[in-house]
Amino acid sequence: MSDTDGEIKMVTAIVRPDKLGDVKQGLAEVGAPSLTVTNVSGRGSQPAKKGQWRGEEYVVDLHQKVKIECVVADIPADDVVDAIAEAAQTGEPGDGKIFVLPVDSAVQVRTGAEGTEAV
Amino acid sequence: MSVPLQADPATLGTAITNSWILLVSFLIFFMHAGFAMLEAGQVRSKNVANQLTKNLLTWSVGVFVFFLIGAGVDALVGTGSFSFVPGGESASWISWLYGAVFAMTAATIVSGAVAGRAKLRAYVTYTVLLAAIIYPVVSGISWYGTGLLGAEGMIGSAIGAPFDDFAGGTVVHAMGGVAGLTAAYVLGPRIGRYNDDGSANVIPGHSLTFAVLGTLMLAFGWYGFNVGTSGIIGAGDQLGRIAMGTTIAMACGAMGAGLVSWVKTGKVDTLYVANGLLAGLVGITAIPHAAAWWGAILVGGVAGIQLPIVFEFVEKRLKIDDVCAVFPVHGSAGIIGTLMLPIVVAPEYLAGLSYGRVDMFLAQFAGVIVIMAWTILATGLVWGVLKAIGQARVTPAHEQEGLDISEHGVDTYPEFGSDDGIAADGGRVETDGGVVMDDDTSAGITADRFETDTNGADN
Repeated sequence: MSDTDGEIKMVTAIVRPDKLGDVKQGLAEVGAPSLTVTNVSGRGSQPAKKGQWRGEEYVVDLHQKVKIECVVADIPADDVVDAIAEAAQTGEPGDGKIFVLPVDSAVQVRTGAEGTEAV
Repeated sequence: MSVPLQADPATLGTAITNSWILLVSFLIFFMHAGFAMLEAGQVRSKNVANQLTKNLLTWSVGVFVFFLIGAGVDALVGTGSFSFVPGGESASWISWLYGAVFAMTAATIVSGAVAGRAKLRAYVTYTVLLAAIIYPVVSGISWYGTGLLGAEGMIGSAIGAPFDDFAGGTVVHAMGGVAGLTAAYVLGPRIGRYNDDGSANVIPGHSLTFAVLGTLMLAFGWYGFNVGTSGIIGAGDQLGRIAMGTTIAMACGAMGAGLVSWVKTGKVDTLYVANGLLAGLVGITAIPHAAAWWGAILVGGVAGIQLPIVFEFVEKRLKIDDVCAVFPVHGSAGIIGTLMLPIVVAPEYLAGLSYGRVDMFLAQFAGVIVIMAWTILATGLVWGVLKAIGQARVTPAHEQEGLDISEHGVDTYPEFGSDDGIAADGGRVETDGGVVMDDDTSAGITADRFETDTNGADN
């Protein structure tokens, strides 16, 4: 607890869909197995692709990604970031981004527990 | 008991023929499932239910109108006397259905061209007129010896050869394809299909899976369409020639279109292969009874190869938004196949005729011209009138929202169920769960995002 000072952080990572399994493994190893996953589309440094419909090409600059949200209190956010970055990396453009945000409060719906206990 | 063995040959023959005709009618009917899936896959997810509804109504409204009027008009145009199906003999109760499934195939082609912007009432109005008059005139002049294009008809006897369209390559498919193109031209393109400078944008459909499923369902039904146009008793080598030619042409159509897309873009486009398979079938439909085996390869291949080229011409030159490519698939492929008969005709077939290849071509050419002229004229007139009275197209707002919600009030792919509690309308809610119905959206009220109506009678 001391190394996180009771703060709650949300780590939001946008990564390649086929790296989801590795990221889940990495998060489990670092002790933060709870997560939320969403299918998202976005653009960053990855070059645009060519789509095709009845022989005609069109540009697809929004790439399929998954967004992983992981809220932590007793695990340092930096550890979670490192775990995700290591698991999701291929070295090619389009590996994604990771953001860390502060979380004001948290409630566990089942128990009503608040704050770091809820996480 | 051995009753079947005691039946006389004539009775047995009638039973076999009736069974055959009913079987192929059911197969051809099943093509509507194919058309529904093919078209649903090629439109955007916001217009799927609209496309499916049009396909359902094409059959339901169309077959009803054909039963009461169309079948009679077909006989009137072909023989000079109107025949009312319910008043006829029981044999006509089968034959009208056989005619109806061909008629409805022509009708349903049009819905693919006008997808995503035609008003439902406009489409249904056109379907009624197509089933009652436009198609029966085409089949009447083509499929009766005494019809305009028949051996004893005015044009047929003048040329000395009848218009030879076996299963409807021009009568059904080119008619439907050209009607679709005409209607799409009058309607104008979907919003966003063309830029101000005239360049085209691609609007991908929502499901290649459905498009390919529909394609193969259509191909299955097509065996009824082509092979089923032949009688089964005493058909000689015709039956085998049709089954063989239909299969080979379909295969070559798919390969031809796939090859062109490969050459053009370096990739084998799935939808081009699927569309090409159908174009190959359309190409052989007028002539499967007469084409030599190598003729089926040639006709199918040409029908497939022309598909990407004609589609691009329609899109980039004519600037007509033919959503499901019905003109290259049904229109031009049907016309080309019909006109290629003198080139690909089997020697055995030619030997049995009283006329040669030149007269044969003239008869085919005249048939195509007459049928296309009538189809363009009638279709252009109907859609032109609908457009003039403002009933052809949905409003831009409805088009952008999607025809599923705006025309039918349904959501083809609902993300959330309806049982998710209170509904909000533009940020305002009522605590009884009802949507605010009045138009009072003054700033003071809308600023309160979750204002509750505590004076509601139900509270």
